[in-house]
Amino acid sequence: MSLADQLSAYLGRLWGREAQVLDLTRIPGGASRETYRFDVDVDTERKGLILRRDPVGSLIDTDRRLEFLAVQSFYGRGVLVPEPVALEMAETELERPFFIMGRIDGGKAASPFTVDAYGVYAATIGEQFFSSLGIIAKADPVGLPISEVTEMPSLAACWSKELDYWANVIETDQLHPQPIVWAAIRKLRRNPPPPAQKISVVHGDYRTGNFLHDGEGKIIAILDWEMAHLGDPMEDLGWAIDPLWGHYDPDRVAGMLTRTEALKIWEQASGLKVDLKALDWWSLFNAVKGQAIWTSSAREYRDSGAKDPVLALSGWYTARRHDKIIADRLASLEGWA
Amino acid sequence: MTPTAAEVLMGNFMALVEPPPQESVGDYTASRISVIGMNSLLASQETEMGAAVRVWENQAISAVLSKAGAPLAASTEDLSITALDALNAKLRLALIAVHEALEAHGDAALDREILTLYQAMANKRMLVLPVIAGS
Repeated sequence: MSLADQLSAYLGRLWGREAQVLDLTRIPGGASRETYRFDVDVDTERKGLILRRDPVGSLIDTDRRLEFLAVQSFYGRGVLVPEPVALEMAETELERPFFIMGRIDGGKAASPFTVDAYGVYAATIGEQFFSSLGIIAKADPVGLPISEVTEMPSLAACWSKELDYWANVIETDQLHPQPIVWAAIRKLRRNPPPPAQKISVVHGDYRTGNFLHDGEGKIIAILDWEMAHLGDPMEDLGWAIDPLWGHYDPDRVAGMLTRTEALKIWEQASGLKVDLKALDWWSLFNAVKGQAIWTSSAREYRDSGAKDPVLALSGWYTARRHDKIIADRLASLEGWA
Repeated sequence: MTPTAAEVLMGNFMALVEPPPQESVGDYTASRISVIGMNSLLASQETEMGAAVRVWENQAISAVLSKAGAPLAASTEDLSITALDALNAKLRLALIAVHEALEAHGDAALDREILTLYQAMANKRMLVLPVIAGS
């Protein structure tokens, strides 16, 4: 039975009506899930949907239930996300767990490795991008669906929880010794940041390329919530402004706005203040986190038979760029032990 | 550092040798081929500079280890990437240990020298993608 037939059967059972899947097509994007677009005819209605299925090998090991609940947490709550439709954890339906979301047509996602990705709309998109991140930071996670499956850290423990996790990923997955990232990890441990101002939902991969825009200056969906968790809102901010995601533009974070402009917009939307010392810590941390993800990519590339070229690019090109980002930051830090 | 150029080129072959399933033809396959092209481009850079960079890095690390009183030779007659990487792994492990120890003892001058070495290592290993304008 084809994947489309399996999906038709599943949706028919889910909705209690005959469902016919049409034009099922795999699309790029979201390296930690297989992503497909499709239409489905049910009764006289045609819906456009997205299927996100667990892959055989992946960039990162994440929980699809968590991703689904993260999207559900912000659907209709001021952040543009797709409609969560169905979550299936059993492997009997489509061989691996998956979830289905509403499809948002007419959008495009920038490749992080292009220059001037947003053209004349850079500032307009930047305002929405950092404003949406501020809204996510402002939300009280208590009572949101994501809090059903994620641990609520203490304000003081956000940094150590995340650093321990990603340091362990590097320890486990590194295939070659990495002195630069280990120097950064030791530096981060010796110079902990202040406690978080509040506990927020952390998107975990909030960056250029992980949202859709309409090509005319309007963001229409924030995507890729697979690394969402609860923690310090500065974590997302540090990732969003990491130089890797800057489209090679030294003057504009995320290739959109000056750093000062971006932080001001985030502060206004979140109601929080940016502690620059804390942001320094979270910026270095995020470069370490990036290196951990690329280290896992390289491991997975080798372990899965070297068939996924995205894993190679991540474990190689981006790993080396993050090594440079970390090395330059280590050399420029002042006042750190 | 992993993967090596040889692994990536082998991977490119593996990624292309099996025809994609029907539902993956189209945008997904076009994107995948684009990434394979990028990987091939990077492999060409790595093939050109890979051995020279490893020889340089091994010697640079060895020099710092000697200054720190923990000498480890960087020379090898086997200039294959595999042999240079094996030696590089030993030298990098020794460098990590030396750096960790001197951080504890507060040797600021050598710490600064190692941080400068890290910058040089990262710069020499950089791979470059062509400038592609966003749409």
